[in-house]
Formats: sequence, structure tokens, C-alpha cells
Amino acid sequence: MSTWNNIKAVVLRELRIFRQRPAYLLGSIGSITFCAIFFLTFFRDGLPHDLPIGIVDNDNSSMSRNFVQQMDATQLGKTVMFDSFEEAREAMMSGKITSICVIPEGMYADVSANRRPVFTYYLNGLYFVGGALAYKDILTMINLTNGAVQREFLRAKGVNEREIMGRIQPINIDTHQIGNTTTNYGYYLTNMMLPGMLELIIILVFIYSLGAELKYGTSKQLLKTTEGSILDALLGKMIVYTVLFSAIGLAIVLLLYHWMHFPIAGSIWNMFLAMILMVLACESLAIFIIGCLPIPRLALSVGALYSVLGFSLTGFTLPVEALPPFIQGWSAAFPLRHYYLFYVQEVYFGSGFAGWWPETIHLLIFLFLPLTVLPRLKGAFQNLNFPTN
Amino acid sequence: MATKKRYFGEWLLDFCSLACNELKQIFSDGGVMLIFFGAGLIYPLLYNVVYRNGILDDTPIAIVDEAACSESRRYIRELDATREVEVAYKCINMAEAEKLMQERKVKGIVLFPRDFGEKLQRMETATLSVYCDMSCFLYYKNALMATNHVMLQEIGQIQIERYAAAGFTGIEAAQLVQAVPYEENNPYNNAFSYSIFLLSAILLIIIQQAMFYGMSLLAGTQREQNRSFASLPGHLQGHGMGRIVLGRGFAYWGLWMIIGIYIASIVPAIFGLPQRGEFLNILILLLFYVTACVFFSMTFSTLIKKRETVFVLFLFMSPICVFLTGTSWPSAAIPGFWKYFSYIFPSTFGSQAFINMSTAGGDLSSAHDQMIALTIQTVVYFILATAAVYAENWVIRHKDEIEEKKEEFEKEIGIDFREEDIRIIRGEAGE
Repeated sequence: MSTWNNIKAVVLRELRIFRQRPAYLLGSIGSITFCAIFFLTFFRDGLPHDLPIGIVDNDNSSMSRNFVQQMDATQLGKTVMFDSFEEAREAMMSGKITSICVIPEGMYADVSANRRPVFTYYLNGLYFVGGALAYKDILTMINLTNGAVQREFLRAKGVNEREIMGRIQPINIDTHQIGNTTTNYGYYLTNMMLPGMLELIIILVFIYSLGAELKYGTSKQLLKTTEGSILDALLGKMIVYTVLFSAIGLAIVLLLYHWMHFPIAGSIWNMFLAMILMVLACESLAIFIIGCLPIPRLALSVGALYSVLGFSLTGFTLPVEALPPFIQGWSAAFPLRHYYLFYVQEVYFGSGFAGWWPETIHLLIFLFLPLTVLPRLKGAFQNLNFPTN
Repeated sequence: MATKKRYFGEWLLDFCSLACNELKQIFSDGGVMLIFFGAGLIYPLLYNVVYRNGILDDTPIAIVDEAACSESRRYIRELDATREVEVAYKCINMAEAEKLMQERKVKGIVLFPRDFGEKLQRMETATLSVYCDMSCFLYYKNALMATNHVMLQEIGQIQIERYAAAGFTGIEAAQLVQAVPYEENNPYNNAFSYSIFLLSAILLIIIQQAMFYGMSLLAGTQREQNRSFASLPGHLQGHGMGRIVLGRGFAYWGLWMIIGIYIASIVPAIFGLPQRGEFLNILILLLFYVTACVFFSMTFSTLIKKRETVFVLFLFMSPICVFLTGTSWPSAAIPGFWKYFSYIFPSTFGSQAFINMSTAGGDLSSAHDQMIALTIQTVVYFILATAAVYAENWVIRHKDEIEEKKEEFEKEIGIDFREEDIRIIRGEAGE
């Protein structure tokens, strides 16, 4: 039989395995569907709003009440009143509120008498996004309060309204958030979390697929199907899984940039390319891992450890340059990192081939990995001389 | 009385033999050892090494100064002096800066328009533009924080100068510029360090996940070898679910209390994570949390039929558990359905309680709600685990009948291809 027929036989055999063991399709299509539903609904708000901000109002004047009302009226904040600082501190410590504003006693009287009362606020930086956003909100509000005091003074001096604005706020910042104009956390995280989940799933499912041959002793039959050619066997398997995972990958790209209208500066076709390259790179890695360690459970454990680390080392949450120097280089060992660099160029800057061509090469380099373990894997498949449990 | 005594004696004997047997199983299975000790002991270290410095300093930005006035130059100097950003390039126009941004040499651009200085002289509001790279929100946060802090500083400076010109100086001018000075406190995470927040959240998730994977691995193995995790010792004749669940659970509980103390107490000490809580309180939290995790894992490991499938089917839940804790995405913004969904996992409450007590330094009252939730979870999962053991024993006893029914059903709806598949997958001999 020719190579072509061998590969065809492996493909047909693989489809029968799918029918026999539902774990493959459940583990790939089922998991990614769950993840897609999770991330697209979890970050539904895009930017959180109505974050609980604790207020300890020791002043109880018209000025402090006005401040509290204004704070409550902001999109980000929702005020929660406390009678004492002690109570508020306990609530912040237990994570019920993101921050505390302490309005000093006699604030209104002090402001009127030019005595500069000190306003104090406390943040809980352990609840990260909530703390940071509450910080922004409080800072804005207290500066507006100061502006209002100054405006009263300038009005009393007879400065006209048009000039008052220029005096209260001589400098203003006009922020442009490139590629994510609404600071939508959903866009930011889902864009990378879904491909990351796909990376994890590909590595595990493909290792499992090859490992199961060893575990159930069916690898001899697999080699018999291809007349002893490990290359044909792997090609056949890769064809089936590449079609499966690419279809999932393309569905993710379509889902994000077409149906959910995530902003994309470049072309969706280039993202298809990135996705297919990442799928191939991950499959190659899976072959490499099981080839180095032809013991199914060890290979799966290593694959699990590796792919979960991928989220941290890709650098879309904490950038790679903030990692310790001896860790930074390792980020290149994750296909997800190269997908990320590709995606930044295409989705944020729309720079096309000129921007992302190095990443295509980096992803293609992963395809050489399986070649290094072919003889070892063939030996394991043929002789079944490794422990199966 | 005598029967009662005998019952307790027997109960205790069964309990001990089951616990010992389970420990023997754990220590004789390389895969489980790898998960329990490899993942349980090494993963926390690995994460601490990766996230050693969680603060991003000196994000490079480009400046396009079309105004070239003294105010803009002062602004640029002050920007460069902030912790958050570093002025890496000064460009002559936006096109040059855009190119640098696209090449990712800079993560933000600050543009001073031509009329910046003129507007300040005319006492109008001068606007400068900031362009942020949104591919990583820490870049955006740095660019935004730096430019805003410098803006506040500059506004104060300009106003002081103007009031001085109008004859207001010293305290009088300060009172006008900033009638209500403010004091900032960020007691638990001073610099908004990414590491302190993330590591506090994931340490306890590692306990739950590693325990679940290890236990499922063992349960799957035993099912593969046709001696189910849940099968009862012969002399019990179908009774004594409680002893099975408690006896086996105790083996994991003892082991994981030790690993738990290592993860929650020793690892943070090694890496200098804040440990403001009292050791005794952390120990009490672990007592609650590990117990809930044991019954949680026992319940869900019932779903695992084959040894390795636990990774293929459930590994993707680990990152999702991190989001469900409500530490990164605020719980006020979590949609209702997912909030209820998060109650399934002990890690949701365990992580929150750990953050409140160990990192923020609260006492037990700061984790009051979480402790109650963990107790409820323990009770519910104990009942579910017992029910699962009961159900599985029923299935084992009625195995043949179920198998027969299944084949009949398959024949009826015409998906009777099992034999042929096995022949092709395993070879002609059907080894």
C-alpha cells in the first residue's frame, strides 16, 4: 500500500476511536464550548460598575452629603455608609467593600475657615480590578471637590464662567485606548483566554490520544495499519486532529471577531492563519512530550503542568519583561506566546504580514520538534516497553 | 449496650483499615504521588518564582512634543521621573511614534499639541493626548497613572504660580489650590503588586485542584482494574457508607493538612509574601477548607471512569476557578448565574478567606461568611459522596443487567458497531 492509503487507514481508524471513546470529543468540543460560554458571559459588563465604596461620614454636613451623593452617582461606584471606621475596616478586610473614604469631622467648617481638613481613603489592593477602579473613582471625586471649592472662590472674585474652567483645570488629558476604546476587560481577557484554553486542550487531548495507544496496547495495530511507518501513523492522526482543532480554532475566531464584534484592526483571515499555526505547533509539542516520556500518565501530567504555565508566561496579564530575567526566555517555548505577539500586531495595530511574519516562523519551528523523537516513539509503539500506568 | 459497643468497635476498626488501605494505595501509585507531591509541593514554588516581582516599572513611552514650551518640557521631565513610565523616545511627529508603538518599542505615546503652551498663557484648558497600548492592561494602567499624577501635580504648580502673580502666596494659595488635601492608604498591597494579589488567590486553589486530580487519578485506576474506589469491604454487606467516605477521606485529609500547612504558611514565608494573619487562624481555615475539598473531590471523582481522563475533561476548570474567586474580577460584577456556579467550589471561599486572614491580616471574623459557606459545602458534599458510593455499589451489583439493557438499547436504535470498532482499533485478534 502507498503512503496515501496508509494515512487514509489511520484516519478512518481514528474516527472509529472517537466513536468508541467519547472522552476525545467531550474533552475538546465540550470543554471549549463551556469556556466560550463562560468567558463571554462572565465579563458581560465589560467594565465593572457599582463597586461598593465604604463611606465613614464624620462630618454630616451639606458638603459631605453632597460628596457622598456625587460619589454614588458615578458609574463605577456605589456608596455604602458606615457609622465607624472600625466597622468599615472589617468590611474592607473581609472583601465586602473595595475601599473606604473617611470624611473628617468638621470638614465643611474647616473648608469655610481655610483650615484645609485632610480627607483620607483606604484601598484594598488584594481585590485587584475592584481596588484599582475604586482608586480611580475616589481620586476623580476628591479632585472635583477641590475644583468646586476653587470655583466658588473665583465666582466670588467675579471671574466669568468661561475663564473659571481654564483656571480650575489648566491641563486636561485626552486618553485614546487603541484597539479597546471602552477599556473592556471582556475583550482584553477573552481574546487570549479562549486561545489559551484551546492550547491546553490540544496538548492534553493529543497526548491522551497517543498515550491511549500505548496504554491499551493498540499501538502495534496502529503501526500494522501503516505497515510499520511511524511517520504515516502520526500524519494520519495529525490530519484528524488538525481538522478537529482548526475547526474549533476558526469557530473561536469567528465567534470573537465576527459574531461578538470584538474590535479588530486587521483582517480576520490573518487570525485564521495564526490559529491554524498555533494548532499545528501545539500538536507538535504534544508529540514531543509523549515521545520524550512514552508513559501516558507522566506525559499527561507534564502536559498539564506545561500548558497551565502557558497562561502566566505568555505575558498578556503580567508582561514578560516584569518576570524574573531567568524566566523571561522560557516564554518563547509556548506557542501561545507567539500567538499573542501575532494577535497584538493584527488585532491592535493591523500591521499585517510586515508586523507578524517573525511569529509565523517561530510557530513553524515547533513543527520540527516531533522529528527528534520519532525513533524513540516508534520503539515505544512497537515494543510497548514502558510502564502503562 | 454490648451491641452498641461492638458496633463502635467494628466501625472504628473498619475506619482505620480503610484509611490505612487508602494511604497504601496513594503511596504505591506513582501518578498520584507525582500530582500530590510534584504539583502540591513544586507548583506553589514555581508560581512564586514566576511572579517574583509583580510590579511593572518604567514602561517605555514615546513623546511627541509639538508645543516645545517650558510647561511641556517640565511635564516630560516629571513623567520620566515617575515609577510607572520612562520616556524612551522623543519623536518629531506622530508617524514616527506610531511606528515605534507598532514595533512594540514603546507602550504608549504622549502628544503635546502645538497650542499647548499658548492655551496655558491664555488661561484656557490645554489638552494633551495619551495613546495607550491596550494589549496588556498593566501598560495602560502605567501610562494612565503616570500622566494623571503628573497632571495633578502640574495643575497645582501652575495654579500656585498664577495665584502668586495675583498676590496670594503660602498657605493662602495652597488653600485655594487644594482646599481638601487627601491622604492615600493602600494597606494590604501598597503598590498594587500583581504578585501579591494573584499568589494569595491561587495558593489555596492549588490545594483543591491537586487533591481533586490525584484522587480522581486513583479512583480511575481502581475502576479500570475493576475494583472500584467505592466498593465496600465484603463483610459489610452493602452497609456502612459513612465509614467508607470518612475512612478514605481521612487518609487524604491527613496528607493534605500537612501539604496545606506547607502551601499556606511555609511557601509565603519562603518568598516573603505578606503573612499578617495568626498561624492558629490559618490552621483553623485549613481544617475547614481541606475537609470541604476532600468531600468535594470524592464526589466529583465519581465521574471519572478512566485513569487519565480527569486531565482531558477537567483541567480547563483550574483557570476558571481563579476567576470565580472574585479577586481579579470584582464579585460585584460577576453575573448571577456564575456567582451561584462559584459556590460549587470550595476554592471560591477558601481563597477569599485566605486573602482576608493571611494577606490582609484579619482575624477569624473577617472570614466569617466564608467559614459558614465551607461548612455547608462540607455537609452537602459529604451527603453527595455517600450517595455516590451508594449509587456506585448499586451499579456494581447490577452490572450485568445494565450491560444487557445497554446492548439491547444500542441494537434497537441501530448503533451496534462496538464490536467492529474494537476489531479495527485493536487488530484482527481483538487482543
